[in-house]
Amino acid sequence: MGALMALTLTMTAAACGGDADDAGADGKIKLTVATFNEFGYEDLIEEYNAMQDDVVVEQKKAGTANEHQDNLYTKLAAGSGLSDIEAIEVDWLAALMQESDAFVDLSDSEVEGRWLDWKAEAATTDDGALIGYGTDIGPEGICYRSDLFKKAGMPTDREEVAKMFTTWDAYFDAGRDFTKAVPDVAWYDASGATAQAMINQVEYSFEDADDNVIAADNPEVKDIFDTVTSLADEGLSTKLVQWSEDWTASFQNDGFATMACPGWMLGVIEGNADGVKGWDIANAFPGGGGNWGGSYLTVPKQGEHQEEAMALANWLTAPEQQVKAFEAKGTFPSQPAALEDPVLTGATNAFFNDAPTGQILAERAEAVPFIPHKGPRFADINTAFQQAIQRVDEGKESADEAWQSFLADVERLG
Amino acid sequence: MTLESSAVKLVGDGGDPSGATASPPGARPPDETRPRSSPWRLRLSLWDTKLSPYLYVSPFFLLFALVGMFPLLYTAYVSVHEWGLLGGQGDFIGLENYARVVEDRYFWNALRNTVSIFVLSSIPQVVIALVLAGLLDTQLRASTLWRMSVLIPFVVAPAAVALIFGNVFGDRYGLVNEALQGIGLEPIRWHVDTLASHLAIASMVNWRWTGYNALIFLAAMQAVPRELYESAAIDGAGRVRQFLSVTLPMIRPTLLFVVIMSTIGGLQIFAEPRLFDTQGLGGSDRQYQTLTMYLWELGWRVRDLGMASAVAWLLFLIIIVFALVNLAVSRRVGSLGGRR
Amino acid sequence: MNRRPGFLVYGLLLAFVLGSCAPLYWSFLVGSHSRDVLTKRVPPLLPGGHFFENAQRAFDAVPFWKALGNSLLVSTTVATSVVFFSTLAGYAFAKLAFRGRTPLLVFVVATLAVPTQLGVIPLFIVMAKLGWVGSMWALIVPGMVTAFGVFFMRQYLVDAVPDELIEAARVDGCSMLRTFWTVAVPAARPAAAILWLFTFMATWTDFFWPLIVLPASNPTVQIALQQLQSGYYVDYSLVLAGAAVSTVPLLLLFVLTGRQLVAGIMQGAVKG
Repeated sequence: MGALMALTLTMTAAACGGDADDAGADGKIKLTVATFNEFGYEDLIEEYNAMQDDVVVEQKKAGTANEHQDNLYTKLAAGSGLSDIEAIEVDWLAALMQESDAFVDLSDSEVEGRWLDWKAEAATTDDGALIGYGTDIGPEGICYRSDLFKKAGMPTDREEVAKMFTTWDAYFDAGRDFTKAVPDVAWYDASGATAQAMINQVEYSFEDADDNVIAADNPEVKDIFDTVTSLADEGLSTKLVQWSEDWTASFQNDGFATMACPGWMLGVIEGNADGVKGWDIANAFPGGGGNWGGSYLTVPKQGEHQEEAMALANWLTAPEQQVKAFEAKGTFPSQPAALEDPVLTGATNAFFNDAPTGQILAERAEAVPFIPHKGPRFADINTAFQQAIQRVDEGKESADEAWQSFLADVERLG
Repeated sequence: MTLESSAVKLVGDGGDPSGATASPPGARPPDETRPRSSPWRLRLSLWDTKLSPYLYVSPFFLLFALVGMFPLLYTAYVSVHEWGLLGGQGDFIGLENYARVVEDRYFWNALRNTVSIFVLSSIPQVVIALVLAGLLDTQLRASTLWRMSVLIPFVVAPAAVALIFGNVFGDRYGLVNEALQGIGLEPIRWHVDTLASHLAIASMVNWRWTGYNALIFLAAMQAVPRELYESAAIDGAGRVRQFLSVTLPMIRPTLLFVVIMSTIGGLQIFAEPRLFDTQGLGGSDRQYQTLTMYLWELGWRVRDLGMASAVAWLLFLIIIVFALVNLAVSRRVGSLGGRR
Repeated sequence: MNRRPGFLVYGLLLAFVLGSCAPLYWSFLVGSHSRDVLTKRVPPLLPGGHFFENAQRAFDAVPFWKALGNSLLVSTTVATSVVFFSTLAGYAFAKLAFRGRTPLLVFVVATLAVPTQLGVIPLFIVMAKLGWVGSMWALIVPGMVTAFGVFFMRQYLVDAVPDELIEAARVDGCSMLRTFWTVAVPAARPAAAILWLFTFMATWTDFFWPLIVLPASNPTVQIALQQLQSGYYVDYSLVLAGAAVSTVPLLLLFVLTGRQLVAGIMQGAVKG
């Protein structure tokens, strides 16, 4: 009987621990912002709470993008439970654009022109509804190990190096020279990353403008596949998978000499390569420019305070606030006004040989010509593409076999 | 404590008019010591006997009706419709989802992987857990310490487990391969080769669950009367023989329980293989994608909820089949060398 | 088995225990160093001095105390509830004759065979309708009695409670409930202790459902730990220090229930 009593007591206590109220004790509206990774919003939210009296904002952080995505999809399917503002990753846009009805149209004359063209366009539906306010982007430069370059007898100065990286051919040729001089070090960190960067520079890669799947017949796709797989044969690739434990360990073991470097990768390199000297970043990217990653803030229609949420999202993505987020966590702004901010133009990074990273990445951002078209099947086909390349790296299939399997996968998805 | 005295203790506990006698149960003629005259009491007792069982099992079924039944029905309903994760309900298509699943080569691939990992994990697990329990069933010094420490793997957070085993089984820089190379052997490609990946994953699963099962066996073993061992020893049986002829038959219900639970759990392995690579898809060739991972991919990546639900129910059928087979086999094994 | 175990037994046990505990030790090890230690070629073998520092950082980064409290509350409630209801139902299935007993038991076991991954969506819908999203109720109620628990207690009680004792009690006029309380419950102690422990641990380590159902301000331990992983770059010494801290309550639990377990087991053994 004592156990029963204890049980009842704990259950009552649990009931009182509930936190489902929408209005705070003082009648303020409570808004939740759901983010993942590091948006740099901690101080900003405090500032917003302090500067007005109607709304109290709380942040809900997921550890990884995948968890956040699973949570988001589950609650979209269930029809309830989403936060007032949900952050989304650019890679999910394609899927969510299919469900644009679930999100509030955030178009507003006030924010017109606030973001880089290609950033805002990606979140605009065919009917002109803007479903997400841009937060950060991932303009890419090339990070490299100047100490390894020196060993190979190659130039180490940032400007000199940039000249070698203007086109993919030049980049690969430099790689061939490097691996000849330093045979046991690869040129780049992963085949998948290089393939990804190249695919992102093709406007209609896996799907055409009407979202028909063209992956099987698109010569550009086959070209990229052939290039990357033959380069791996030549020893330019580590043949590792990004984000795996082996890949992380390769930073400490001189696994490779260069890698594609969006702003957020700088922190990763610094963490993984702790103690390694010689990292630097060049103001160039093969093919001109590239973008990897970046997020948006959306306002789901499930929410009860859509107007207030929209106002909050507007404020959070204003150039001034994004610059503060950049200062906090290095998230690179997608707003042209922010790119001219002295905080950005003056930002340097000690780990990368005091490179003017703010300026470099701003120039790289402006060099991005367009955002590739990504239809509803893009993510799945891209995964199949990456897996095919990985199979060749691992020796499970020859390049031809892997391509055939890729085609079978595309058909299965189609 | 003898049988008689425990009966006294039980029956003598407060409030019962005639319960204080010390005669052994069963030896007492019915209806002799207590007047059962009141029909009201008789009926109450009859209702008590008839209804109590239903009352006792009802909490489970009530709760199940609330939180278990609806998901089951929902999944079944979804499986016969076109249903997108985000798009929602579409047309009724009967068994088409099931047909699509059966025609998908990745379904068969996942089935093969699931069975392989299941066999590699369940069999060693049950055997080692039995042996371990047998070892723990002795008069050890600091027995609590030994018994609890086999549960330690169960408390390590999944994030830590993934990290640790990822480093142990790293293809290029992992601990095991470093050791192998240290003694002159070839490194094993844990994340690439199918069988190697199954072995690695099975190790992770076994590491986590063997101690758990061992304690279940231990509880059952400790209920075995010691006299049986004594008489077996007198008959000349060594410790191993005693284990096979006395212990195993006596813990048969528990053995069956563990076999069934391992089957059900082993065919649903999800967390360990999912964390084994960064994509969560089971490798570049899906070489270690299990059926539950395949289900997850269909639901949350491809976002075809209809197909995913069909996989869930197909998996259910597969599990039932395996469980029945294992039950039949274990019944046979359990009676080998026993007098049950 | 009255003879004291020999070296072979201790040796085998030691080997097994070392293998079991090595990863936990390793996670404590990494948590006590600075973050670059994971990638070094030669792993360190002894703890560094940073454990409390890293643990402190973990406490600062996420609402760890609240998370510990929530986890403790939920796990205790669920474990107690499961043991209570499972023993009741398990006893009924094991010892009482009633119509439909076997089909119902088979049904109970069969429910375990349905994969639960998809169940989060409908379950969330149910929780939302009941208004429990965000509160601990959503974690407790779905777990209050489990098929595993019922099946486990049933298997144990089939042999552990002699039919004669039950008969004796009934003949002496005990009601069903009283019989249950005085005959079955003491016999069930060892299994009940184990079930309590297992259920507690399973609830403690549960991750995806709490993630869906709880807000960040009111997390459980696993959610808090996962929040430590925020960011593209994961500071593993921080995460593992947090993970090591989160196992401390469980280890304490082991110490406490361990004695219970042994006591219960010994009583069961002598009963025979």
